[in-house]
Amino acid sequence: MTKRLLLSIVSLCVFAFQIMAQDRTITGKVTSSEDGSGLPGVSITVKGTSQGTTTATDGSYKIGVGSNATLVFSFVGFTNREAKVGSQSVINLELQSNSEALSEVVVIGYGQQSKKLSTQTISTLGQKAIANRPVLSPQDLLQGQAAGVQMVGSSGLLGANPVIRIRGAASITGGGQPLFVVDGVPLNDGTLSGGQGAPVGLNPLLNINPQDIESMSILKDAAAVSIYGSRGANGVILINTKKGTVDKKTEINFDTYTGFSDPTSLIPMMNTTQFVGYVGEYRAARGLAPVTLSNDYFDWPTNVVRQGRTNNVSLSARGGSQNTTFFIGGTYATESGFTIGNDLNRLSGRLNLEHKATKFLTIGTNLSISNVTMERIGAENSTFAPLTSAYLQLPNVLPRNAAGNFVNTGFIQNVIGIEELNTNRFVAKRTTGNVYADFKILKDLVFRTDFGMDYNSGDGKQRQVDLFTPTGSASRDFQYDSKWLSTNTLKYNKDFGKSTIGVLAGYSYETALFDRILVAGTGFASDGLPNVVSAATPTSTVEERSEWGLESQFGRFNYGFDNKYLFEASIRRDGSSRFGADNRYALFYAVSGGWVLSEEKFMKNQSFINFLKLTASYGTAGNDRIGNFSSLDLYGGGVLSDYGGAPGLRPTQVPNRSLTWEETAQLDLGLSSTFFKNKINLSVNYFDKITSGILLNVPFPFTTGFASASRNVGKMQNRGVEFDFNANIFDKGDFRWSLGFNATYLKNKVLELPEASIDPDGNRFVPGSAAQRAVVGRSLNEFFLVEAIGVNPTSGDLEWRTKEGNATTTYSANNRVFTGSAIPEWTGGINTNMSYKGIDFSAQFSYSYGNKVLIDGLRFTDNMSATAGFNKSTDLLNYWKNPGDVAFAPKLSSTTAPLFNQPSTLQLQDGSFMRLRNLSVGYTVPAALMGKQKIVRSLRIYAMGQNLLLLKAKNFRGPDPEVSADGPNNQVLGESFFALPQAKTITFGLNLGF
Amino acid sequence: MKNIKIAILSALVLIGSSCSDRLELLPEQSLAGSQAFSSAANAEATLRGVYSQSQLLEVFGSGPQIIFDYQADNTDFVGSFPTLQDINGYVTTSPNATIQVYWQVHYRVINAANSVLDNVPTIKDPALTADISKRMIAEAKFLRAITHFNLLHMFGQPFQIQNGNTPGVPLLLKSFTGTIEFPVRATVAECYAQIVKDLNEALPDLPAVSTPASRGRATRGAAAGFLSRVHLYKGEFQLAADFANQIVTAPTAYSLAANYSFYGATPTAEHVFVIVNSATDNGRTGSGGWASYHRPAANGGRGDCAMSPSLETSFLTQPTDRRLVDLTAFGTAADTQRKRMSLKFPDAANNTDLAPLMRTSEIYLNRAEALAELNGINPESLTLVNGIRARAGLPAWTATTFATKAAFITAILEERRKELCFEGHRRMDLLRKGLPLRTTGPTAPLAIYGGPKTVLPLPQREIDLNKGLVQNPSY
Repeated sequence: MTKRLLLSIVSLCVFAFQIMAQDRTITGKVTSSEDGSGLPGVSITVKGTSQGTTTATDGSYKIGVGSNATLVFSFVGFTNREAKVGSQSVINLELQSNSEALSEVVVIGYGQQSKKLSTQTISTLGQKAIANRPVLSPQDLLQGQAAGVQMVGSSGLLGANPVIRIRGAASITGGGQPLFVVDGVPLNDGTLSGGQGAPVGLNPLLNINPQDIESMSILKDAAAVSIYGSRGANGVILINTKKGTVDKKTEINFDTYTGFSDPTSLIPMMNTTQFVGYVGEYRAARGLAPVTLSNDYFDWPTNVVRQGRTNNVSLSARGGSQNTTFFIGGTYATESGFTIGNDLNRLSGRLNLEHKATKFLTIGTNLSISNVTMERIGAENSTFAPLTSAYLQLPNVLPRNAAGNFVNTGFIQNVIGIEELNTNRFVAKRTTGNVYADFKILKDLVFRTDFGMDYNSGDGKQRQVDLFTPTGSASRDFQYDSKWLSTNTLKYNKDFGKSTIGVLAGYSYETALFDRILVAGTGFASDGLPNVVSAATPTSTVEERSEWGLESQFGRFNYGFDNKYLFEASIRRDGSSRFGADNRYALFYAVSGGWVLSEEKFMKNQSFINFLKLTASYGTAGNDRIGNFSSLDLYGGGVLSDYGGAPGLRPTQVPNRSLTWEETAQLDLGLSSTFFKNKINLSVNYFDKITSGILLNVPFPFTTGFASASRNVGKMQNRGVEFDFNANIFDKGDFRWSLGFNATYLKNKVLELPEASIDPDGNRFVPGSAAQRAVVGRSLNEFFLVEAIGVNPTSGDLEWRTKEGNATTTYSANNRVFTGSAIPEWTGGINTNMSYKGIDFSAQFSYSYGNKVLIDGLRFTDNMSATAGFNKSTDLLNYWKNPGDVAFAPKLSSTTAPLFNQPSTLQLQDGSFMRLRNLSVGYTVPAALMGKQKIVRSLRIYAMGQNLLLLKAKNFRGPDPEVSADGPNNQVLGESFFALPQAKTITFGLNLGF
Repeated sequence: MKNIKIAILSALVLIGSSCSDRLELLPEQSLAGSQAFSSAANAEATLRGVYSQSQLLEVFGSGPQIIFDYQADNTDFVGSFPTLQDINGYVTTSPNATIQVYWQVHYRVINAANSVLDNVPTIKDPALTADISKRMIAEAKFLRAITHFNLLHMFGQPFQIQNGNTPGVPLLLKSFTGTIEFPVRATVAECYAQIVKDLNEALPDLPAVSTPASRGRATRGAAAGFLSRVHLYKGEFQLAADFANQIVTAPTAYSLAANYSFYGATPTAEHVFVIVNSATDNGRTGSGGWASYHRPAANGGRGDCAMSPSLETSFLTQPTDRRLVDLTAFGTAADTQRKRMSLKFPDAANNTDLAPLMRTSEIYLNRAEALAELNGINPESLTLVNGIRARAGLPAWTATTFATKAAFITAILEERRKELCFEGHRRMDLLRKGLPLRTTGPTAPLAIYGGPKTVLPLPQREIDLNKGLVQNPSY
């Protein structure tokens, strides 16, 4: 005890001495090596202490130190430098921009590499691209930010599941979602929630806090993804969370923002006067007996939207000593959508810790826990969806009776009453993390063992009151995906003269269990009894479990010579429980090479091109998302099989013992370059991906008793070019301006679909939806519809086009033709950043060109029939009245009027758009103004707008061209019933550093 | 130090070799096909699975049945569902998603019945006696027959047109084992022949009715009842009368109830064959059900099917008719108008009402009509119909009420309409007599007897997938 006390006193003395030893003041200026301009805000710390300062706007600084001290200069985007104080009193130094540094690393599968010496094609999003974005999930950060990545926000519904396609869809019926890996743990991506009208449930990554993310690596080519074997074909997104910093003063950051959101636009619907008038005219024109309709009026659409609110508070600390580094963060976010009844709050925490226990052992953990509580609403094709029902509800139907009480409005629900009285809650909890240990066996040989887990649960609770569901009903649906995995790797890196060798060998085993319990019942004595236990009639009791396992061996070999000639090969062998014993194991591989031309002698005597690298890669990856037991013939029990109170069995699945993986082979040719004094970066990649053995849900004639079964029969190609351009246009003195541009051209073509259906014209196809199909020789998402010509000004009849190209007034599905693809030709983004002294400005656009979208809900609002039990679009008022009229809708007595809303190109629209995704203005208080106070290290305030501007096709009908209700479903893209439009959000934020 | 390293390496190797057995995983929610027919008990479960699938909205759960009433003149479809509106407006097209799923589920039931038929004879289980085996086969044949029969009425013209030499539906008589076949449409006559064959083969091996629950399973009475209906539809009146007589002459098993309280969830002697539904079977499907369609929103339904003015006029000729007074009420229909709607299906919350596929009164009317066709105005027909009229609180008919045989038959048909309205009989009762489905309104020209739009189009998906299928004319 005394010994320990003594030790403390001694250390205290040492500490005191250090403080007293600040006997000198060092001054100086930090400049950029590129142009000699002063660098403001550079952090300067005295090594081994918590003492430090930052440079002023002109790069000058002043710090008191002892003579033995070493100063550490660090600044984002620049390489750290150290300087021994010694006897100096002025220390001026240059910092080298990272783009010049060979040491800039990219995170790759099971490791990291020097960006400049990597032969893999990876897009990385760093802090600049993702910090402070008021988004709910990591996918939202990707939009328009990386070449080759198409991200479509499904809708303005909170937690909607977005579409992400990396270099096009690599599968047809298999899942289209890339594999997400957080700090080495591949995430569960099963959806634990129902769609409630939407074709897919909530975003499974809703619990991953975007504020925790340091960077995201999007692995695109075979060289990058084949190490993920059977799960790599859709691309892989590595999410790297914020880690501690070595030997640095602890930084505490407090970040907060608050925002307001509104729908970008609504569809104009008839009011009562218009509706009653229209119905009267329609009935008169068609000789139907007149009806008396109520003249009450309630404007449903504007009453189900409101101003949404979003609030986010995040507090974190990061720092570390030589031996231990840490990041601890917590975020609390609340968001109310702009639709009534749609609310969300998220509480999440993270601890990332690493400790060097001995010279040869390092241990660490990355751990996050989070809880998301949502008030859900129905969506898309559900009469419980507020905006859908508000559009469809007759305008003379009132939500309340004369006494002021809610009424039941029937099939088109009283959504205002429902959101007020019913309960529809969803709670998602997730724990994701790993613990690992690195053993340095030899100087260049490291063994790592990593145990990871991902527990993701969804808990849905619904309760409908007696008014809307007689006697009331309730349900509780609890589901979880629980995964654990063990990853063991050996890494060997060594330089032999000019040669560099890297070897990775690994083994992993991964298993996940899905479990679900659902209970539901009806018949409640009172609306005051919330739980299923009070139900008189149990209507549903479900317990479900399903498990899968994946065993893998993998390896990678790198060889580099003289930083000029690069070679890499990787391999993975996967064994999966999802496949029959005969087809259980598969091998994936990739080879790649690179040539750094700028290191060659002949490039050395020019200064225009600073860096130039050519790469090529070829390899394979797979897709295992076929469901867990797809190869067996199955009979299922449960409530769909029981009869008369006794249990039953029914055939549910056709056998297919030869089922196996989908395999994607990809060629990538790339060029990456930096030129004009390192001011301009340009990379161009060409890719050609061919997926074969595509699992097709080959449709069966229903006369077989089955709708379809999976077969490995298809072949599809995605070819394209990616451009990524960044320029530091101006970077002198106080003013900086940079501009970035990325673009991807994609050509998707279905090559073979044996066994698929043949249409009357002889095309093989696989239907995705009623309007969309994958067609051989065309794209995966080709619209197939009857072409509507429009209303004939002479006759007043709507005319469609026959297959032969003639006008007709007879609607027939036999006249369907290919009317465009839902896959955009071009997607990408533009971003620009400017700063002047403490003021910063940024704008980011995303765009899509050359795609079609289908708004299926128009078939309901364009229903001309007077007896249709729902409201109509005001567009229908523009019906043909007199010869010569150029009208939207046909004459009321026309035989084509009741067919006006049949599926046709009337619902198909040009989906090209450009959207101002983000616009922000910020002000960072300069160090000089912070004065002598030591409490606040940095302070920035900002305002940000999202989706402020949208350029879309002139005649676009519908709320938003950016829709895809089917989320990651590859077969249906660009369709929506009535998606909630994207939210237009304004946020105000504060970043405070201590 | 060296030991540690060796330990780590050997651990790595060990982990590497010990996990492959963990890839042998089996489903927990389902049985493999081989297990489903491994025992008598499992086979009974697969047989119940056939009934269970036929409960669905798309087969006997009200979907086709409401169409049979509103395609004709008993109800007006005033709901908002476009695919159903199209059928109501005679503007259906072949991509109609509702028709597609009805077709699909019918064949699912037929395939499930066929797997019982194909697999039960192969089961080696002492518990499966010859009698049980025969009964299971008979039940499956019965279900296959009535499902084909229901399907035929949606897509085929009545037998009376060209004596059934028109396209019917594909007859599926073997279970699907993986090889896709592309069956063509059998003629209506061939369909009738197969249905009669299945029912005749089933009848002797079926049990007699015993408990109320047994009325929800195939029985001898149910098979006889369907044979009576099939022969009546075909115009074979002697056979129709004879099969009906098996029920008429079994008054302890089958009798007219004293009043209309038998509508609901429990089978009674009024019911010859029903599909029973529990709260978990057809409840809260969100897309319909007998009560869902027929009850207004205020009672938890959708209020889609309102009594047509034509039927109301017919009832109002005798406004004291208890079937009008006791079994209908005004409510706010889906189009917000006050309309007269049926009370035959009370439970719109859970849709537990029986699917009343065959009632004793129908069999009485079958025999009465068949005998009238054979013998003109006759005492037995009068007695049979008068029993039904008495229950409705209407005066009895006598031999002098009608001047001609034709007038008598027309009156029996109108009585049949009022007795069986909302139960899905009207369409075939009109067509088999060569009558138009509707006589008033803008769709009347399309609803004529033999009109191409009186039958539904085969689903476009099936036409696309099976080149052998021929679409109905004018679609």
